Amino acid sequence: MPSEISDQALDFLLARAGLALSDAQKADLKSVYQGIAAMAARVRQKRGHMAEPALTYGFAEEDLP
Amino acid sequence: MTGPIPTIAEAARLIANKKLSPVELTRACFARIHALDHRLHAFVHLTEERAMTEARAAEHAIMTGAPQGPLCGIPIGLKDIVDTKGIPTTCGSKILLDNIPDADAACAESLAAAGTVLIGKTTTHEFADGGPSFDLPAPPARNPWNPEHFTAGSSSGTGAAVAAGLILGGIGTDTGGSIRGPAALCGIAGIKPTYGLVSRTGVAPAAYTLDHIGPMAWTAEDCALLLQALAGHDPRDPASANRPVADFTAELGRGVKGLKIGVIHHFHETDYPVSAGTRHGIDAAIVTLRGLGAEIGEVQLPPLQDWGACGSLISITERAAAYEEWARTRLGDFGDRVQRRLMLGALVSGVDYVQAVRRRRELRAELQRAMRGLDVVLTAAQPAEAPKIDAVPVWDTFAAPSFTMPFNVAGYPAISVCAGFGEGGLPVAIQLVGKPFQEPTVLRLADAYEKATDWRSRRPAMLDAVSG
Repeated sequence: MPSEISDQALDFLLARAGLALSDAQKADLKSVYQGIAAMAARVRQKRGHMAEPALTYGFAEEDLP
Repeated sequence: MTGPIPTIAEAARLIANKKLSPVELTRACFARIHALDHRLHAFVHLTEERAMTEARAAEHAIMTGAPQGPLCGIPIGLKDIVDTKGIPTTCGSKILLDNIPDADAACAESLAAAGTVLIGKTTTHEFADGGPSFDLPAPPARNPWNPEHFTAGSSSGTGAAVAAGLILGGIGTDTGGSIRGPAALCGIAGIKPTYGLVSRTGVAPAAYTLDHIGPMAWTAEDCALLLQALAGHDPRDPASANRPVADFTAELGRGVKGLKIGVIHHFHETDYPVSAGTRHGIDAAIVTLRGLGAEIGEVQLPPLQDWGACGSLISITERAAAYEEWARTRLGDFGDRVQRRLMLGALVSGVDYVQAVRRRRELRAELQRAMRGLDVVLTAAQPAEAPKIDAVPVWDTFAAPSFTMPFNVAGYPAISVCAGFGEGGLPVAIQLVGKPFQEPTVLRLADAYEKATDWRSRRPAMLDAVSG
């Protein structure tokens, strides 16, 4: 994830999210993109494709026939 | 009613012995509310008529000798994201200004069934996010120790109301620290229980997999009494734990001799150094706990910033999903801070979210490993004393890592208790964290610490001017 975002890319993401922002809001959001990029980098580890997410779940006893 | 404001435990004993009237206790709370809440803004809606009816019913039950639990006649407040049948539940938002639920949330039901007296709905940050905000239907709650200062949030009203004795206890919710933050800055106790211990049914979500419901009160013992009424399986909540509920008061008073505590020094000393007052509070607490017979060691975990990144990405994404429809159609009806939080959702990809959830599994494993052979870990609850209410950065997500978020990521039980006062007389706190479903141990330690110090004897100075 790059640490900066172009106006065009931001517009695409906002359109996909369905958010209509003012120019001031866009500038404000752009100013913290680096913070999100840093967070996204932190959660990426050399873990390989087999590492499971915490959301992986099993069935509770009550779910079973 | 005169004399110091009783704790729930003290009031329960007096009520049971017919030495304290629930009606008088409730009247005293309203007297304080009418004298102080115009400065604190702890409540968004008072239920005075209902409260007096409930107090009279509690008194009648006591006087007729029917067996009652310790919460009978105890005045409480519910955070305004908790659904209350027939009572406005606005979530602090213009969007739900006219919302009157047709059913109680599970936690509201449980506390009502235990005989509590509902004083009102307490101020929250909008949908339990952001804050302090000055562009919402109601003003932000203010800190009773100094109303120019912040309470932290999002359970800001409950924190302020308990500290000022407007209620004896109440409900908070905690997605990244929203129980423990206000507990810390308002100088009270607040426990975020293990994920799944208390039902989330009927409480507006902030982030589904990080949300916890829990009690806030003047003492850890009071939190134990409230938690006893709140805990238990609820099939309506898919995350609800289906397991026997512990006795949360059973271990209180047993002391802490032999308990093993690991201090996460690097969280508050190097990852994000806390203020001098907070550091002093933590170090003094360690000395106190050692003196009580606890064994103190040190633990290492991944840096605070790793936990923060993981929790923030999950929180941003789940919140954006929960409120997507309104964000698309009514973004301008949210306050400025929540608009910003919802905008962030556009910047987090699906892959980022899954990587965060994979990291979450690793971080939980790290905490599990670190706590082998320990009963509790200890660190800061907040980086410093309460800041001025107008000095909280709008993008606080990026301003400083959270000391509380790690235990939302892990789902482990964590309590904040007052550990003294810093410069300016504002409270500082410690955070004690236990293993999953080991709330009795966390509460035992917190209770022993509180009883070994005299921090619980001090109330905000603004109360000096209020009689009753």
